[in-house]
Amino acid sequence: MNRREFVRLMGLASSASLLSSCGLERETEKLIPYLVPPDDGVVPGVSVHFNTTCTECPAGCGVSAKVMDRRAAKLEGIETHPVNEGALCIRGQASISTLYHPDRLRHPFIKDGQGDFQQTTWDNAYSIITDALKNASGDKTGSGVDPKPRKHVFLSGRTTGTFSEAVDSFCKETGVERLPEFEFYPYSAIREANRILFGRAQVPSYRIDEADLVLSIGADLFETFVNPVSFAAQFGRSKKRSSFGWIHLEPHVSLTGLQAKERHTIAPGGEIYLLSHLLREVSKVNVAGDRHIAGMAELLPDLLPRGFAEKTGLGVETLDALSRRLIRARRPLVIAGGVSTMQPSGLDVAVLTGLLQWATGMLGGTVRFEEAVDYDRVGSFRDVEQLEQRLESGDIGVLFLCRVDPFGTTAGGSGSHTLVKLKDNFEKATLRIGMGEFMTKTLEMCDVVLPLSHTLESWGDARPRGDILSVVQPAVEPIHDTRSDGDVLIQLTRAYQGAATALSYQEFLIGRLKVRHGSATIEKLLSEGFVKRRVEPLTVTLDRDALTHHLRRIIYDDSHVKPVLVVAPSIRFFDGRSRGLPLLSEIPDPLTTVSYGGWVSISEATAEELTVKDTDEVTVSVSGWKTALPVKIQKGLPRGVMMIQWASHDDTPFDFDRMSGEMMTIYEGAAIAKTGRSVAIPALSGSLTPEGRKVIPYLGEEDQHHHGESEGHPTFYPKHEHKDYRWGMVIDLDLCIGCSACAAACYIENNIPVVGAKLHLDGREMSWIRIEPVYAEEGDNVEFLPMLCQHCENAPCETVCPVYATYHNPEGLNAQVYNRCVGTRYCSNNCPYKVRRFNWFDFKRPDDKNATVNPEVSIRGKGVMEKCTFCIQRIRGARDTAKDEKRKIKDGEVIPACAQTCPTNAIHFGNLEDETTEVGRLAKSERAFQALGFLGTDPGVYYLRGVWKKVHG
Amino acid sequence: MDNLEDKIAYHRAVEHDVLSAMKNPSPLYWVGLLVSAACFALGMSLWGYQIWKGMGVSGLNNPVGWGVYITDFVFWVGIAHSGTLISAVLFLFRARFRSAFNRSAEAMTVFAVMTAGLFPLIHLGRTWFFFWLLPYPNQRLLWVNFRSPLMWDVFAVSTYFTISAVFFFVGMIPDLAIAKRFHNGVRKWLYSVLSLGWVGSFRQWKHYSKLYMFLAAFATPLVVSVHSVVSWDFAMSVLPGWHTTIFAPYFVAGAIFSGTAMVITLVVPMRKIFRLHHHITIDHFESIAKILLFTSLLVTYSYFVEFGLALYSGNVYESGAFLYRLVGDYRYLYWGMLICNSLVPLTLFVRRWRRSIPFLYVLSILVNIGMWLERFVIIVTSLSKDFDPYAWGLYKPALVEAGITLGSFGFFFMLFLLFTKLLPVVAISELKEVADE
Amino acid sequence: MTERFSFDTKKEFLDKLEELVKSGVSKKKIDTYTPYPVHEAEEMLDDTQSPVRFFTGAGAIAGCIAGFAFTIYTVLSWPLVTGGKEIVSVTAFIIIAYELTILFGGLTAFAGFMFLSRLPVFKNVFSPEVEFSPKFEIVIKREGPK
Repeated sequence: MNRREFVRLMGLASSASLLSSCGLERETEKLIPYLVPPDDGVVPGVSVHFNTTCTECPAGCGVSAKVMDRRAAKLEGIETHPVNEGALCIRGQASISTLYHPDRLRHPFIKDGQGDFQQTTWDNAYSIITDALKNASGDKTGSGVDPKPRKHVFLSGRTTGTFSEAVDSFCKETGVERLPEFEFYPYSAIREANRILFGRAQVPSYRIDEADLVLSIGADLFETFVNPVSFAAQFGRSKKRSSFGWIHLEPHVSLTGLQAKERHTIAPGGEIYLLSHLLREVSKVNVAGDRHIAGMAELLPDLLPRGFAEKTGLGVETLDALSRRLIRARRPLVIAGGVSTMQPSGLDVAVLTGLLQWATGMLGGTVRFEEAVDYDRVGSFRDVEQLEQRLESGDIGVLFLCRVDPFGTTAGGSGSHTLVKLKDNFEKATLRIGMGEFMTKTLEMCDVVLPLSHTLESWGDARPRGDILSVVQPAVEPIHDTRSDGDVLIQLTRAYQGAATALSYQEFLIGRLKVRHGSATIEKLLSEGFVKRRVEPLTVTLDRDALTHHLRRIIYDDSHVKPVLVVAPSIRFFDGRSRGLPLLSEIPDPLTTVSYGGWVSISEATAEELTVKDTDEVTVSVSGWKTALPVKIQKGLPRGVMMIQWASHDDTPFDFDRMSGEMMTIYEGAAIAKTGRSVAIPALSGSLTPEGRKVIPYLGEEDQHHHGESEGHPTFYPKHEHKDYRWGMVIDLDLCIGCSACAAACYIENNIPVVGAKLHLDGREMSWIRIEPVYAEEGDNVEFLPMLCQHCENAPCETVCPVYATYHNPEGLNAQVYNRCVGTRYCSNNCPYKVRRFNWFDFKRPDDKNATVNPEVSIRGKGVMEKCTFCIQRIRGARDTAKDEKRKIKDGEVIPACAQTCPTNAIHFGNLEDETTEVGRLAKSERAFQALGFLGTDPGVYYLRGVWKKVHG
Repeated sequence: MDNLEDKIAYHRAVEHDVLSAMKNPSPLYWVGLLVSAACFALGMSLWGYQIWKGMGVSGLNNPVGWGVYITDFVFWVGIAHSGTLISAVLFLFRARFRSAFNRSAEAMTVFAVMTAGLFPLIHLGRTWFFFWLLPYPNQRLLWVNFRSPLMWDVFAVSTYFTISAVFFFVGMIPDLAIAKRFHNGVRKWLYSVLSLGWVGSFRQWKHYSKLYMFLAAFATPLVVSVHSVVSWDFAMSVLPGWHTTIFAPYFVAGAIFSGTAMVITLVVPMRKIFRLHHHITIDHFESIAKILLFTSLLVTYSYFVEFGLALYSGNVYESGAFLYRLVGDYRYLYWGMLICNSLVPLTLFVRRWRRSIPFLYVLSILVNIGMWLERFVIIVTSLSKDFDPYAWGLYKPALVEAGITLGSFGFFFMLFLLFTKLLPVVAISELKEVADE
Repeated sequence: MTERFSFDTKKEFLDKLEELVKSGVSKKKIDTYTPYPVHEAEEMLDDTQSPVRFFTGAGAIAGCIAGFAFTIYTVLSWPLVTGGKEIVSVTAFIIIAYELTILFGGLTAFAGFMFLSRLPVFKNVFSPEVEFSPKFEIVIKREGPK
């Protein structure tokens, strides 16, 4: 026994005696269950995974929740799930933080006479609700006599699967009217168009991966449109096909547009002309057999090419090329959506797109109604308007609001639109019952607030697409006194009926599923998280009469008044529901790198006219709405178009299209004026252009800094010897779409503190991986460069650390020893990539948030430098497994959090030492380069140059 | 001084003048001491606050990890250097005029190194683990990284402090013995102990002379190495604007330049307050002014070379870094630095101004400011914009940093004021020796 | 029994010293006390070099060796790669060795001086009478009755 072992044993003995001597301590009591083998299956330090479904947006991605020591630590996409294919978006990654959010509702509340919320019990809340339900529905035992009978209504966000049945049965049993569901993005223009065209008010599923030419018009495929993760994943796969082309047209600049091979700026409102032109050209050739549209094409405006060019703002050649390529494509896919269908002519755009899809034979191929996305019960803003009118007329008795927040993002400020009126008339319902997880602006106005459980605490199911059934199952016990929405409805029904006991929603759900799908399917569903069903091909017929009728009604209004304000969908906040997640504000918007707060993007030309620069404040106003915002100049934005992001600040303009009921995203005749003030906005990027620097080597120069070159870099020093592994990463810039999901995954996996707006303004963000948008000096091309610790072989940071707190480990990792760090910050100064992060303060988490901490990664205290470690905890885990099985770690066995969640699979990780691994191969690619390779740092991160957009033909 | 009586009188006068300067502090002295001590106390409190809250109370941020603290460190180390230059280098060159200044210059060296030594501790994120920077055997079996320039700093600065302190003390032993003769009570006891029982015997003087020569001979290369090492903190990095081979000589010249200016800043009031006009004359000041002019020219030359190299390199990072200094966010500081360090000292070509003490005094303060700015500009602009444009960011010093900087001046002046009343401020024995030659 | 001469000026002192030496008084028996080092007296009485230089040299060499030995020992005791540099990065260690050369040299020189000058003289330190005189003095030690 040597000295060290002796000391260790002594330590063990003394701490053991300490344990037994203070048995009365509460902390110790907690430890006791772990001293005996746990009979509840919870093994300390061992993680279990539950397959469930993400409910942060309606897309329905399958997620696997990692649970360790009874706490949910991380969400990851289910590898085989047909929607998200293993990936999750930025919102999905961040959604775990709602579970332990300190602001979560913990008890039911009722409003007292003063309008303050008082905590109450569930039973009390139920009795108040059932009394109210019975009272106004004719039971006139009370003293207050209603002049006319009122109707009770139930309004919820989009529901799917069995929960929808539960709502139906609740409404039936209690005599409540179920209203069309509320969504800010109901896709009602597309559904209405499909109803007119084909008699199907549905959102079809779009198959990018089966198309050879994608023509997308305004659709924000990677931000919010239907299921962004799925589109990104399909796009990632499709990009590798040589025959794949993608043309995007939009009036503004979006993350999606910047990824297209060809991006064209279309004049706002010019979409109908473009589609008319395409339809006319398509009608001239018989593309898809019997699908003649000649008769209908006659109804479209017949302008000369010059005329179309003028109306659309596109060149004659461009229009010509577009139609030629569309006709030539074997499996084209046209998608219109986003800002193009959410504007005054949105319904017409959707109708013409549907017609084009039909005429070019996309239906059943790249556009599938058989796998339609479940929006069947979702209403539109016309329904909201109706509700508002009914409230005003005193028609509504009890109003249930389940997981909806119509006032959250827009009704706070100026304007007199439907939502403001709805808010004003809200009081006129006799009793308002809010159900949700947080005290939203809407719930604040309710009389009874019922706290709902988080998805990770609830049972449920989802039907993201016609062919997929996905399960929601609890991964943790409810933390607070909350109940799942299904349970609440069942219990309310029973309370209404006066029955003593109620079925749990879990039993209800399993019962229903069993009836419908059989036990075998349920077992598969629970273990894998989803089942995919075969769907029969569907024959879709065109309703020519309805279409002709609609085509005749289209008004070709070309009196568009500039400037135009575009309220673009936000990749971070979706429709505003994700605004409460601090992490989503912490990670900057990928286009502007602004993290916290709102801003207005203006074109370079507008900035010049107004003589404003970044951070100068302007007032922006459109009919009845006015706000002051700081300016951010957006390259590529056409003159006369301004852009704000929906839900990026408290008061976003709102209006809806009376034709389709769709929310408006384009406002004409906007005014902008300088206020003379300047507002500090946390734009994390020092400069959006390369400034002559070649972090990404210029085209044609990549060979200079190519892998082969840097290996031959003259050096005084010996080459590193790596015994088994040299961990490395290859990031394909062709595939990186800037969605920032990697950053969110990294924050959650590595317990990176969220530091807030003030520290961002001070330049103290803590992200270990960041998405750098690199705008070309000339033109409007953008490349996204994910920047993380490069794990250089000759790392400048290591040499300068006086205490060996950072050193090169034998597996090629640039290791950071937090406990040893004294905080000289010399390493960060000397890092050419500036990826090291210093703990300027003790970033304490609120108590509840401690639960979100990943127990496998240590928390860093103040004064310590931290950075990306290639998720060393995962490498260690894989090594332990491999060691147990007496083998080496296999390729693909270690996947860092960022690579795991990347929807396009742009990030590869593995052993560079072995040339047969994926990274080993890719690092030798023609496209490979190392960032700032000329410095001789020999990074372990290789980038693959983005060439896809540059290859034409 | 050929006359015997004159010589005897001079010997007495030197002893009397210097030692009477140590007596009866004036109210002004007390005010000065209190103000200095208060500043020092403020600085220490702010440091405590910084340790308590974290480095975030400074203005430092992501690209700019070093700012005012390291600027102060380099500034104070630079101040220290001319003390060694005046006492050791001029001793080796047998420059007579050094005897008037050398004691205060040595004191300045020791105190400036002490002040400088605080800053590497202040700038640490986890100050309480500062001892991890020292190579001591520990149970982790982990030593320090000798490849890190910061480790070289630890060795260079601590060696410098030790040797300077020994040099300062050894030079003072005979004068302390004189002071012992002139005092009673506690101070007599203090000087008795400090003078080690020195009697000026033949053997003592023989070894003393040799020791003094060796210490001077060591101090000279040491001073060069220390500031070279300090410059390598920057030059050994990869940062454009830092990574340049000219840094070592450039910094050494700059250090002597700023230190010489500081000597003037300190000696002018001292001479006036303690009435040392006979012993520190205008001729002495003119000699110092010449050193100032010479080093100013060296520093100016370095500015040109640095700029020329960067622009001529054809390297966008290098030229970018230097153009940023010239016209970027910190341009006013850079221009101020050029005016203070390169333009204004050119006036010293005029003999009349060289011999004007008020003029020299103002100039010396300008040079101090200019040299502080030089370090600030070098450190901050290079960090602010380096390789990756995304990571660029600005740094604005926070009040805490200003307060701690003020505290460092308080510390330095407090020590210096204590020195003027506790120790003989002029080398009495040396002046006697010089007078007799 | 000692004989003591005291002078106000260096010249008188040197004249007397020369006279004494010429008169055959053993150099070993003469000691002088001066307010500053008088090199003429040194030449007359003892023109050998001070052994301080051996202390200095030995210290400097030891420092240099210690510098290299220590740095190399530490990196070999736990070889950690930093920045792709060699484990034994002699170039970097030169600086440590350089500083230690000066540090050890300076300290041993001081120690040598103290040793050779028999300082500190505790008897003198605590005797207020024994003082460093501003005069030039010559003391001749003669054999006295025991």
